[in-house]
Amino acid sequence: MTSGPISEIETELAKLPPAVLEAYHDANATVKESFGEEEIGLWAKEGLTIGTQTVRSWESAIEYYNVSPEVSKFLSFPSFMQWARCGTYLAQDSPTLAVSFFKSSVSIVPNLRPQYIPRWAGLGRSLYKGTWKSSTLAAKFFEVSPDLVRNLPFWDVEVFASLIEALSYKSYDVAGECLVLGRDVLPAMGREREPFLAMSRALIDTSWREVKTCLELVPRALQQVDEAQTGRFLKLGERLAKVGLRDTSRFLSDGTQALSKVPQGSQGYILDLCDALVVITPDAVPPFLRSLDDVLNRITVSQLDSWFQHGAKLLQDNPESGIAFFKIESNTSEAMLETLSSSLELDRVKSILRLYCRALSGAGLEIYDTQELVQRNIGWIDEDMASTDGTKVFLPPVVDHYPNKQDNFSWFKVVSTHQVAHLEFGSFEYDFEKAATQFEDRRHAAEEQMLERKSAERAAAKAAYELGAQQLASANEVDADMSAGFEDPNDLSRVRTFTDIGRFLEIFENTRLGFDIFTVLEDCRLDYRIKVEYPGIKAASGRVQTETLANRPRIEDMPLQQGLVELLIHMSLDQFQDLPVAKDYKEAAEMLSSILHELRNSEANVEDTAEATLRAYEVISRVPNEQEEEDDFEEQDLEEPGDFSEEEYESLVDQLQAGMDASADGGDGESYESPDPVDYRGDFKPEMVQLMTKLQADDGEQGEAQPMTQEMLEQLLQESPEMELDAEQGDVDSDMAQFAQNIMKEAGTPPPNSEPGEGYGPLLNDDEAGGELEAREPETYVYDEWDFRANDYKPRWCIVKEKTVEEGDPAFYQESLKTYSALANHIRRQFELIMPETMRKTYRLVDGEDIDLNAAIEAWADLHMGVPPDEKIYWHRNRNEREVAVVFLLDMSASTAEAIDEGRQTVDDRDAPDDPVEYMVWLRRRREGLVRRNYKRIIDLEKEGTTLLINALESIGDTYGIYGFSGYGRENVEFYVIKDIEEGFSDKVKKRIDKITPLHATRMGAAIRHAATKLENQTAKTKIMFLISDGRPQDRGYSREGVEKEYAVHDTHMALVEARRKEIIPFCLTVDKAGHDYLKSMCGDMGYEVLADIWSLPERLPMLYRQLTANNRG
Amino acid sequence: MVEASPETEAHFTEYAIEEFLVRDEPYYRPIGDEIELFTAAYRQHIPVLLKGPTGCGKTRFVEYMAWQLGRPLAVVKEQGNELKEGEIRVPLVTIACHEDLTASDLVGRYLLDANGTRWIDGPMTRAVKAGAILYLDEVVEARKDTTVLIHPLTDHRRILPIEKTGSIIEADDRFLLCVSYNPGYQSALKDLKHSTRQRFISIEFNYPPPDIETEIIQRESGCTKEHADALAKLGDKIRNLEEHGLQEGASTRLLIYAGRLMSEGIPPRRASQVAIVWTLTDDPELQRSIEEVSSSIFE
Repeated sequence: MTSGPISEIETELAKLPPAVLEAYHDANATVKESFGEEEIGLWAKEGLTIGTQTVRSWESAIEYYNVSPEVSKFLSFPSFMQWARCGTYLAQDSPTLAVSFFKSSVSIVPNLRPQYIPRWAGLGRSLYKGTWKSSTLAAKFFEVSPDLVRNLPFWDVEVFASLIEALSYKSYDVAGECLVLGRDVLPAMGREREPFLAMSRALIDTSWREVKTCLELVPRALQQVDEAQTGRFLKLGERLAKVGLRDTSRFLSDGTQALSKVPQGSQGYILDLCDALVVITPDAVPPFLRSLDDVLNRITVSQLDSWFQHGAKLLQDNPESGIAFFKIESNTSEAMLETLSSSLELDRVKSILRLYCRALSGAGLEIYDTQELVQRNIGWIDEDMASTDGTKVFLPPVVDHYPNKQDNFSWFKVVSTHQVAHLEFGSFEYDFEKAATQFEDRRHAAEEQMLERKSAERAAAKAAYELGAQQLASANEVDADMSAGFEDPNDLSRVRTFTDIGRFLEIFENTRLGFDIFTVLEDCRLDYRIKVEYPGIKAASGRVQTETLANRPRIEDMPLQQGLVELLIHMSLDQFQDLPVAKDYKEAAEMLSSILHELRNSEANVEDTAEATLRAYEVISRVPNEQEEEDDFEEQDLEEPGDFSEEEYESLVDQLQAGMDASADGGDGESYESPDPVDYRGDFKPEMVQLMTKLQADDGEQGEAQPMTQEMLEQLLQESPEMELDAEQGDVDSDMAQFAQNIMKEAGTPPPNSEPGEGYGPLLNDDEAGGELEAREPETYVYDEWDFRANDYKPRWCIVKEKTVEEGDPAFYQESLKTYSALANHIRRQFELIMPETMRKTYRLVDGEDIDLNAAIEAWADLHMGVPPDEKIYWHRNRNEREVAVVFLLDMSASTAEAIDEGRQTVDDRDAPDDPVEYMVWLRRRREGLVRRNYKRIIDLEKEGTTLLINALESIGDTYGIYGFSGYGRENVEFYVIKDIEEGFSDKVKKRIDKITPLHATRMGAAIRHAATKLENQTAKTKIMFLISDGRPQDRGYSREGVEKEYAVHDTHMALVEARRKEIIPFCLTVDKAGHDYLKSMCGDMGYEVLADIWSLPERLPMLYRQLTANNRG
Repeated sequence: MVEASPETEAHFTEYAIEEFLVRDEPYYRPIGDEIELFTAAYRQHIPVLLKGPTGCGKTRFVEYMAWQLGRPLAVVKEQGNELKEGEIRVPLVTIACHEDLTASDLVGRYLLDANGTRWIDGPMTRAVKAGAILYLDEVVEARKDTTVLIHPLTDHRRILPIEKTGSIIEADDRFLLCVSYNPGYQSALKDLKHSTRQRFISIEFNYPPPDIETEIIQRESGCTKEHADALAKLGDKIRNLEEHGLQEGASTRLLIYAGRLMSEGIPPRRASQVAIVWTLTDDPELQRSIEEVSSSIFE
C-alpha cells in the first residue's frame, strides 16, 4: 500500500503545519474510491505542490484536500487534475484566492462543464491585481460564483466578470458591491440580461458610479415594463450610456416610472419615440420620459405623435429649446398640449357621426377622413375641407378649433350636418327641367342665348381661322398641321350636358363666377334649411358662422365684382347689417339681397338656387371688376330688401348693361378670382357627384345613350369649374388621363374585395359562350344558374366539386375555446336553455292529454271535504321536439384573408433607417401597426365563430353540417366539407377547422344550391341554411358581359329562393359593412344581418342561430 | 277613449269580455283607404290581417273600427250601456298572444267545482257567440296549435268546433276575426304559415308620413305643434337607422309618449331621451347617435 512516492509525499506534507496532513488523511480514504493508485499519487502530490507554493499556501492545501472527495465525484481524473492545477496557480499568486477557489468549487463543479473550469479560475484570477483589496474582490467573486454559474450561462458570467474587472479599476468597493448585487439581480433576468450587461459596460466608461444604482433599479424596471419591451428598454439605456448620458440610472428609474404608466400595449411605441430622440439628441430622452406621465394625462397616445413630432423638430433645430419643449418648460409645448388635449380626432367619433349622418339622410352613408378622398385623386384635393360625394361624407381627421372637446364635437356636427344637407335637401338632384318654386323659368331662355352666343363665336372663330389659313396659304407657308381643319369648340356642349348641373353651368359665359355664385347661394339655402329643420344646432352653427364672418376678407378691399360675391357670402352667413356697399351699386346689392332672400325659405329647392344664380350672375357680371375707393363705400342694411320682382330685376340689369356699354373701357377690370372658400361648408362638387352617379347608373344598365368614353370624360373635367378651381390652387397635375381613369374606376366601383391582377384573369367577356357542363368525376355535381336578363336558367352551368378539407392541428379548436372560454360557456348555457324537453311529461296542468291521477284524486278528496279543489289535474307530453338541421356555408374567398385592421405593418426593429428624417417616417408607419395590434383576418373570426358554434350545437344535438365554398370559374366551384351533415363530430372536424383558408372567388349561387340539396335530404322539420360571407358574390364570369355585378346578386337571390321553396330557411350574415345595398336585393324578404363590428362575429354567430331557431315549437 | 262611464262609484268598470264595447270614438287618423277596406271585409266576412311595425296604430285601428261599425249612422251617442236605436253591438275582444297561449286558453275548459265539472267558455268562444270582433294581437307569438284553431273560423264555414264538449259553434253574423302581425322580426321561425296567412286579407300599416304623424302626436299628446313637428321629424330620422344597428324604429306610440312628457313640462331633449333613446336601444353608441340627432332637432 505504501508505495515509495506516496510515503515521500506524506513525509513532505508532514513538514507543513500538521493540519495539512490531517486533511490529507481524511480525504485519502474517500478519494481512493474514485481514483486509481497512480492517480492517488498524483492527487496527493498536487496538494503538496499547492502547499509549498508560498509561505502561507499550506492553508490552500488544506482546503484542497478538504474538498477533493466532493469534487472528485464530479470530475474525471484528467479534469480533476486540471482543476487542481488551477488552484495551484492561484495559490502561487495568493493563497487566500486559492482557498476561496477550492471552497466554492464544491458547489460549482456540479454545475459547470469541466472545460470551463480553467476559464472560471481565470476570471477570478483576472480580478486579482496583487493588492489586498483586489484579492478580497477576487475571493468574493469565487464566493458568489456558484450562484452565478448555477443561474446564468457561462458566457454571461464571463461578461459580468469582465464588467466587474473594469469596474474594479475605478473602485474595488463598488465593484465588490456590484458583484453581490449582480448575484442577486442577474439570475432573475431573462433575455434582458445581455442588453443590461451591455448597458452597464457602456456606463463604466462614462459614469461608472451609475452601474450600482442601475443594478439596484433594474429588478423594478423588469417588473413594470412589458416583458417584450424590457430588452429594447435596456438597449436604449445602452445607447444612451454610450453617447455619454450621465444619469443613466435616472433614465432607468424615470423610464420605468413612465413606461409603467402608459396604456397597455403602447410601451413599444414610447420606446420607438425614445429611439428617435436618441438619434437627434440623447439628452432629450430623460426629460421626455419624465414628462410623459404628465403629458399622457392630458392627451391620448395617438395624439402624442403630433406633440412629439413637433418637439423632435425643435430639437433638430435647436437642442436647447427642444429639451425645454420636452420638459414642458416652453410655451409652445404647453400650448400644443392645450390644443391637443381638446382636439377631437375623427376616429373617435366616427361611428357616432356615421349613424348621425345616416339618420339625417336616410342613406347608408359612410364617414371617411378627407385624406382618403384626396388619395383617390378623383377631383378633391383639399385635405382640410369636408365634402361629400353623395355616398360618403368626408370630414377632416382632427378638429382643434376650440379649447374643449365638446365644442370641437359640435363643430364636427355642424360640418357633417351641412354635408348631409346636400343630400337631404337635394343639392345633387338638380334637374334642369324641374320647375323652381320661387322663381320663374329663365334658364331655358338663358340656354338659348348661350347657344346663340356660342354659334356666333363659332362662326367668328371659323371665319378667323379661314382668314388665317388663307393668309398663310397666300404666303405660301402652309404648315401641315394648320391644314388639319377647324375644330368646332361647340361640339363639347354635348358632353357638358351629360349632367344636369353641367348643362346648367354651361350657360354662364364666366363659368367660374357662375359656379361660385351657385355655391354660395346653395350653401345659403341649405344653412337656412338646417336652421329651420334643426333648431338644436342653431347655437353651434351660429357660432361657426360668426367666427367664419370674422375671418372673411374686407369687401372694401376687393374689386367690385368679387366684392359682390363676397357680399353674397356675408349675407349667406347671416350678416345683413352694416354691409359695405359701393354707392354706385346700391341697387345691385339690394337686388342680390332680395334674390338671396328668396332662398331663405323652406320651400326653396335646388332649382331655385339655380334660378337665383342666373339672376345674381346677370347682375354681378355687369359690374366691372374694379377696385373702388374706400370712401365710395357705404354701410347698408340689407335685412329686408323687399320681395324679389322680375320687373325691377330686369330694369336693373338693363341699367347695369347701359352703364357697362357707356364706359368704353368695360373690359379693363381685373380678372375675376374666386373668393376664399368658407371652411365649414367644405368642398361642394355637384357636377362631380352627378357625374359619378350617372356613370354608375349607366354601368348598371348599359344600352341607353352611348357610354362615356375616357376622352369625353377628360374633356368634361377640363371644362368643369369645379376642376378649374382646384387647378388654380395648383395641385392637380394636368394628368387628366390618370384622373379620368380614377373617376371611371371609382364610378365602376369594382367590388370591394376584388383585386385585379391577382390572377383572376380579366373580368371581361368570359365563358358566356360556353355551353353546358357535365359532371364526369366523382363527387362533382352540376347546377343551373339564373340569368336575370334572360329571365331564365342557364342549364347545367356550374360544376360543384366537393372536397374534404385537409386535416390540420386540432389545437386551433382548443385555443379558440380557451380564448373565448367565458363566451363559450355563456353561449352553451344559452343553448342549453332551449334544449328540448323531449317527450317529457309535465304534470299538474290545467289542461292536457289525460287526467293526472294523483292530482285528480287529491282534487276529488278536496271536493268531498268541501274545499275548492286545485284544478290542475292534467298531464301533458311536451311535444316541443326540436328537429333542426342546419348547414353553415362559410365564405372562403380570397378576400377573407384581409386583415381586419388596415394599415398594419409588421416591421422589424432591424429595418429602422438611420437617417433621422426617414426614421420619423418609418416610425409613424410602424406606430400605426403598433397602436392596433390585432392582426386577425376575417377568416380567422369565421373559424372562431364556427368553433363556438360547434361547441354549442353539440350541446343541443341539432343536426348540422359546416361547409366552405370558393372556386374559380363556373367549372370549378369548390365546395369544402368541414363537417358533413351526416358526419358525427370528431377530432377530424377539429383538425379541419384549422385548415380553413382563404382561397379564390365566391360563386355563391352554385354553393347554395349544393348545400340546399344536402339539406333537402334531411328529415328534420326545420331546415336552416346559414350563409356567412364577407362581400358580394363574385367570380370569373359570374356576371353578364363581365360588368354587371347584378348578375351574381340575382343568381344568388334565385338560389336562396330555390332553397326556400325546398322549405329551407336561408339566413345571410355578412361582415361587409357596405352589405346593405346588395343584401337587400340578394335576400329580399329573407333574413340577413350586416355585422357592424366584425369582431363580434364569433359572439354573434351562435346568438343569431339561437334566435333563429329558438321559437321552433311544435 | 276606450273606457266607459267615469261617473260610476268604483274606480274601474268591469265587463264580461264579450260585452266590452268601444263607446267613445277612439282617435284614429286614417292614412289610406284602410277604413273602407276593413268595412268591406267586415261586411263580406273576410278575416283581416294587419301587418306593421310596433306602435304604428294597428290596435287603435281595430278599436276605431269596432266603434265605427257599431255606430249607427245619424244617431247621437250618449253614455250608458243601453243600446240606442239603430245601434248594433260590435264588441271587441282583444287577446294578446304569447308563447304559452294554448288552445284551451282560447276555447275554454272544464273547471272543477263542488258539484263536479263545469265548462267555461274561453274568450274566443265567447267572441264567436257574441258576434264580436276578435282581435288576436301579435298572432305569430302564439303557439302553432292555436293558429290552427282559427282555420275553420276563417273560411266559409265560420264555425268553431269545440272538441272537449263535442260541440260546434256557428259564428254570429257580426263576428269577425282580425289578427295583427309584425313582419319585422328576424326570427325565421316566427313566421305565419301560408295555410294560415292565406285566409286573410292583409292591410299593411306603416309609420304615418311626417305631416300626419305630427297631427297624430299633437292630438294624442297635447304638446305644441312645434314639438309635435320636431318629434315626427325625429321619428323619421331614427327610422333611417333601422338596419344600421337599430332593430326597429321609433314607434308613433313612443313619439306620443315623448310628446306627453313635453306637455307636462319636461324639457324636449330629456323627454326624447327617456321616452325614445333609452327605450329603443341599450347600445351606447347608438344612443349617443340618436341623442345627437335629437339635440340637432330640439333647441
